[in-house]
Amino acid sequence: MARYVMVVDLRSCVGCQTCTAACRHANATPPGVQWRQVLDIESGEYPDVRRTFMPVGCMHCGNPPCMHVCPSTATYQRDDGLVGINYDLCIGCGYCAVACPYQARHIVHRASFAYGDQPTESEAARFDEKRVSVATKCTFCIDRIDEAKEKGLTPGVHPEVTPACVNSCIAQALHFGDKQDPESNVSQLIKENESFRMHEELGTDPGMYYLWDGHK
Amino acid sequence: MSGDVKKVPVYCYQCVAGPDLLTVKVRDGIATEVEPNFKAAEVHPGGGKCCVKAYGLVQKTYNPNRLLSPMKRTNPNKGKDQDPGFVPISWDEAFDLVAGKLNELRAKGLTDEYGYPRVAASFGGGGTPTYYMGTFPAFLSAWGPIDFSFGSGQGVKCYHSEHLYGELWHRAFTVASDTPNTKYVLSFGANLEASAGVVGVWRHAQARINGYKRVQLEPHLSVTGACSAEWVPIKPKTDPALMFAMLHVMLHETPRDKLDLPFLRNHTGSPYLVGPNGYFLRDAETRKPLLWDLKRNRAVPFDMPDTDPALEGSFTCSGIEVGADERVWQHDAVSVETSFTKLAAHVKPYTPEWAETICDIRPGTVRRLTKEYLEHAQVGATTVVDGVTLPLRPVAIVIGKTVSNGWGGYECCWARTLISCLVGALEVPGGILGTTVRLNRPAVPRQASVAKGPDGFMAYPMNPTDKQNWVSRPNVRNAHRTLVPLSANSPWSTALGPTHLSWIFRKQVPEHWPEVSAPDLWFVYRTNPAISLWDTPEVAKRIAEFPFIVCFTYTRDETNHMADVLLPEATDLESTQLLSIGGTKFMEQFWDYEGYALRQPAVKPRGDTREFTDIATELAKRTGLLEKYNQSINKGSACTRLAGENYDFSLAPDKAYKAEEIWDAVCKAASAELTDGKETQGLDWFKENGYRVKPFPRLNWYLYPEIVKQGIRFEMPYQEQLLRVGAQLGNRLHESGITWWDTQLKEYQALPAWKDFPGVWEQDTVRLGGKPEEFPFWLLTARSMQYSWGSNVGIPLMDEVSKNVKGHHGVVMNAGKARELGIKEGDLIEVRSALRATKGRAVLTQGIRPDTLLMLGQFDHWATPYAKDMATPSMNTVTPMSLELTDATGSSADIVKVGVSRIAA
Amino acid sequence: MSRVAPWHQTNWDWRAACNFIGGGSGTGLLLFTAIAAAQGAPFRVSGLVGLALVAAGLSFVWLEIGKPWRALHVFLNPQTSWMTREAMVAPFLFAAGLAALLLGSVAVFWIAAALGMLFLYCQGRILFASKGIPAWRQPTVVPLIMVTGLTEGAGFLAAVLPWLAPELPLRWPLASLFLMLVARTVAWRSYLNQLAAGGAPAKTLAVYARFDKPFIFVGNALPALLAVAVLFTGGGALTSLLAGALAVAGGWALKFTMVARAAYNQGFALAIPPVRGQGGRLPGTKPGWTPPAE
Repeated sequence: MARYVMVVDLRSCVGCQTCTAACRHANATPPGVQWRQVLDIESGEYPDVRRTFMPVGCMHCGNPPCMHVCPSTATYQRDDGLVGINYDLCIGCGYCAVACPYQARHIVHRASFAYGDQPTESEAARFDEKRVSVATKCTFCIDRIDEAKEKGLTPGVHPEVTPACVNSCIAQALHFGDKQDPESNVSQLIKENESFRMHEELGTDPGMYYLWDGHK
Repeated sequence: MSGDVKKVPVYCYQCVAGPDLLTVKVRDGIATEVEPNFKAAEVHPGGGKCCVKAYGLVQKTYNPNRLLSPMKRTNPNKGKDQDPGFVPISWDEAFDLVAGKLNELRAKGLTDEYGYPRVAASFGGGGTPTYYMGTFPAFLSAWGPIDFSFGSGQGVKCYHSEHLYGELWHRAFTVASDTPNTKYVLSFGANLEASAGVVGVWRHAQARINGYKRVQLEPHLSVTGACSAEWVPIKPKTDPALMFAMLHVMLHETPRDKLDLPFLRNHTGSPYLVGPNGYFLRDAETRKPLLWDLKRNRAVPFDMPDTDPALEGSFTCSGIEVGADERVWQHDAVSVETSFTKLAAHVKPYTPEWAETICDIRPGTVRRLTKEYLEHAQVGATTVVDGVTLPLRPVAIVIGKTVSNGWGGYECCWARTLISCLVGALEVPGGILGTTVRLNRPAVPRQASVAKGPDGFMAYPMNPTDKQNWVSRPNVRNAHRTLVPLSANSPWSTALGPTHLSWIFRKQVPEHWPEVSAPDLWFVYRTNPAISLWDTPEVAKRIAEFPFIVCFTYTRDETNHMADVLLPEATDLESTQLLSIGGTKFMEQFWDYEGYALRQPAVKPRGDTREFTDIATELAKRTGLLEKYNQSINKGSACTRLAGENYDFSLAPDKAYKAEEIWDAVCKAASAELTDGKETQGLDWFKENGYRVKPFPRLNWYLYPEIVKQGIRFEMPYQEQLLRVGAQLGNRLHESGITWWDTQLKEYQALPAWKDFPGVWEQDTVRLGGKPEEFPFWLLTARSMQYSWGSNVGIPLMDEVSKNVKGHHGVVMNAGKARELGIKEGDLIEVRSALRATKGRAVLTQGIRPDTLLMLGQFDHWATPYAKDMATPSMNTVTPMSLELTDATGSSADIVKVGVSRIAA
Repeated sequence: MSRVAPWHQTNWDWRAACNFIGGGSGTGLLLFTAIAAAQGAPFRVSGLVGLALVAAGLSFVWLEIGKPWRALHVFLNPQTSWMTREAMVAPFLFAAGLAALLLGSVAVFWIAAALGMLFLYCQGRILFASKGIPAWRQPTVVPLIMVTGLTEGAGFLAAVLPWLAPELPLRWPLASLFLMLVARTVAWRSYLNQLAAGGAPAKTLAVYARFDKPFIFVGNALPALLAVAVLFTGGGALTSLLAGALAVAGGWALKFTMVARAAYNQGFALAIPPVRGQGGRLPGTKPGWTPPAE
């Protein structure tokens, strides 16, 4: 079975937030809810300072703490590794949000819009009442992954079935694919480069690999 | 997912790094989502992606703060404190007002009693408004003289010296590294990851993966510094000193064979002999510059075949020198030196130890960087491009804003170009390349503008400085032809001239200078000088003096606060325009294709907004200029000529066409042009397909083959032409009694020397009555990729995502320095120059020099909806605008000395 | 907006803290009431108070969840969710408790008290399963939550018993309170040590550092002293009330602090900065964290 993962090449990422904006578009999240965002991390002291840009979001963990704690089974994990939320089941208790060590879950309790209380036409067309007062997070653009099967396309290769953030990346920093397939783009990238995963010590088996150098 | 869904291909050209090709997802007539145009990945050098700003376009379209019908002012008094009293009017009334005024002015004459055009127009964004104004350029062309010299930042906040000197030396309006081939880049404040757009980011990311090394020399750790191998926190405005020290190391601490001696000998003016008065020694008869031929052991004209030019040395020979205003010196057996020898002597004092006292950079660092540069240059290596063998020199020096403009800009541009010449890395694979031509003609391709001048260098269209032809009476208000010979006289020249001078002269006319009148009518589009120039409160006052202002308007803003008529155009996703794409273009757009891309209405125009093309046509009709307007379109002012060898889609001169008809003709002509007349698909085809291209030879990225073909030399290192032009300009000005440009005249040096450039700003603080010790910090700005040029400050999505990038919406300062001053993260602080103060929240970082502060972007808004409530500081309020801060090219820089105090937590 | 260092979780506020407060005090009180009842003390009033505390705590949670009308979905994940398990224990706890009160059966009341302990254990495990909050995910949080619940129960009983059953000796409840306070001090400190030993958000440690002394002295040492004083001097219903109240207040403050003040999230970490042409590997960074104690 597939395990879809994301590979982030930290060497490439410039922190431009194009993926952040593209995700906001693709998923019509409300203002301030960024399922994908890029951190601006400073380390060291003047003048020996480094600044690194690090895309974060739901890691679609192999061992997702959010799912284990969810009392309603709204959070589920699929055979292909995607961790999803059934908005009809979620009670908005927030337990998943405190269980997630990646701060990837968002709950908003009232509708808000770009220019205040009233939606623009575009926002009104996309507003989904179901998403108020429940937990939401990055889905790896799950609809597209599902479409891949129907259309016989490969997520991470064909843009129609690839997460919006990956499609949008202007630095080729974001990659998506099936880690179980040794020939896939992500498997090759992980094989050919040095990588780490965030907070791996917590036993979450996160599905986001950060490349930091090529093999020497 | 119900209803009718389509993806509409358009382009985004909100900033100079565009265009980006994208699609807009439209559901039931409503734009919902922006995506890259995935199909364009085949041809686009940035994978067909679009930048973060493009994602703001949906909110831009549906922004409730948009003006949706024309308006007129009802309060005759203008000023920041005046309520304009705008009331909605019909388009008919709006056209009556504007065309009525235009007809009244035309009847009086196209120029006023001072000789200035009665109509002025300002478009910001480095020319990008042109890509949204449809056929308005055809209207302006039909009108006649227009004064483009009221700037909003262009000419002074751009890479100004690079534009002028870059075009002079290698047809480089801007300069880029040949990133796909380079291995080592020294970046002096070139903030490419913020400024070079999708293609720049894409290319440099790939280069990082391929293992190139980039060193960022900059007072703060920008996003580009972040993405570099090393950050060298150089003191502001001292970059020329570091470059001069590099020249010293290359010429006095490095074996000569590490340099590209054949390149210097054969493709630069290095062997040219320099006479005792500082001008080239020339052949008395032909006036050709002489060089010393080691084969014949005598001085010969530079273009004599089969010579072995001496690169270095002192020789005794005869000839003439030609100075300013045809002054001729005859020399008989005089001792002369080669330009290269002069250069070596010139940089002798500029040791790394000397530079340390100026730049605050250790001598070891300078030597190491120079050594790395030389090692990576691979002098002697070659590569094959399109079947042609070219030198491969994978080293580049790029320079950013505030380095490449204002005092010190000339010195930086010269040193950077020269360092490249020393290793033969100019206009060859891996080296530095010009991107675009703006001042020379013809501009496309770059090679077309290259012609050999009398001295063997590329000919350059200097504005005349000789007695007969000097433009003593300015024909536009910034007087670029009078004061700045290098600004040339292309259609771009006025807007690239010293565009702040118009504002300065409006306040006070300097001695012996003609009155500078207010334009009778001022068109404004996608620009906002009332917040984007320096000393913005003063600029706003000057704007308020203009009698009749017509603003094409998206939302209310600080400049259109003074307008008389507001005309809301159908904006980015609502209107039609064809654009040429591909070839080579700033910032790093180097394509393997060229062609055209369409912007089309993805959604219906909101409210009573109107296609810009239809506005232009209506104005042409009502001012009786329809014939000239249509002819101008036929000649190519709307993207491309409508007739060619085997096609003709020309508009009939007397007919007022609808926008769709005009763009259909343009699209057909574009199709025909790309296919040699074989195919003539029009607007419908482009609407479906978005763009159309044909291959563009990669060899055209490089000027070197053309230089070799024409036997031209790069005009390096010795600037004899500039020396003469400067002297002549001085003569003309002094003959007119003008001495207020004397400091600027000192820039015209054949071999530029270090001057105390930071001191220029320190002294200006004193001029304004400030005590230097009260203003210990340098205040700088930096590019925000999320905001720059897009006029998108009122778009919440940009506000939101930009906050993820450190420094937006605050004053960036060194954490250690802040601790000394008792300032904590988020404290409200006042930043005061000798002019006035601004305030903002402290953003503390280790990544900035302790003597430097930074305010990202330009936010001085007090009228623009949404933006006026962001409480974001801007350096424009506190930066003075003065002749003292203006260099010889008519430029200054975003830098000012300030003090800081804490206001509150 | 973009935060790297841990920031305080915003999903559970004072209402969630109240669930741990009510649940802990209530179930603790049920247990000590059961013990008292075994010795012949009346259990109806304090038993009712215990059940009411648990119910109040659960009501606060109900107020906090985003979709209160879907509250029944809380029962859907007994396989892995301690919140489901807590919720599943609750009806049995109330049923047994109310039945005991109605029937006046000490035996049934003991069933309720035992279910209360299960409920309390679930609460400890709820926090422990919150991987995103370093202050909660320590294994020692489970004994701490249980011990403080029991301490609060003992405190409650010591406070109210002299008024409900003046005839009964106060010796054993006060001795229990004293022992529970000692146990709580030990549990608290070992929790704190475990937290610091593994590394934790600096702000969490700072909150606890400020909380530690008042908690130790006012919330534990002082009531312990008062309990000892009553034990050795005899009498003193008021002193006993004070000792009990302080013990309860200390526990409430602890849980409020833990849930609503010290609950900084994990934040982000950069294990290894990218190589961007500079050559070798650079040290990583974990902003806002106090590294593990050496």
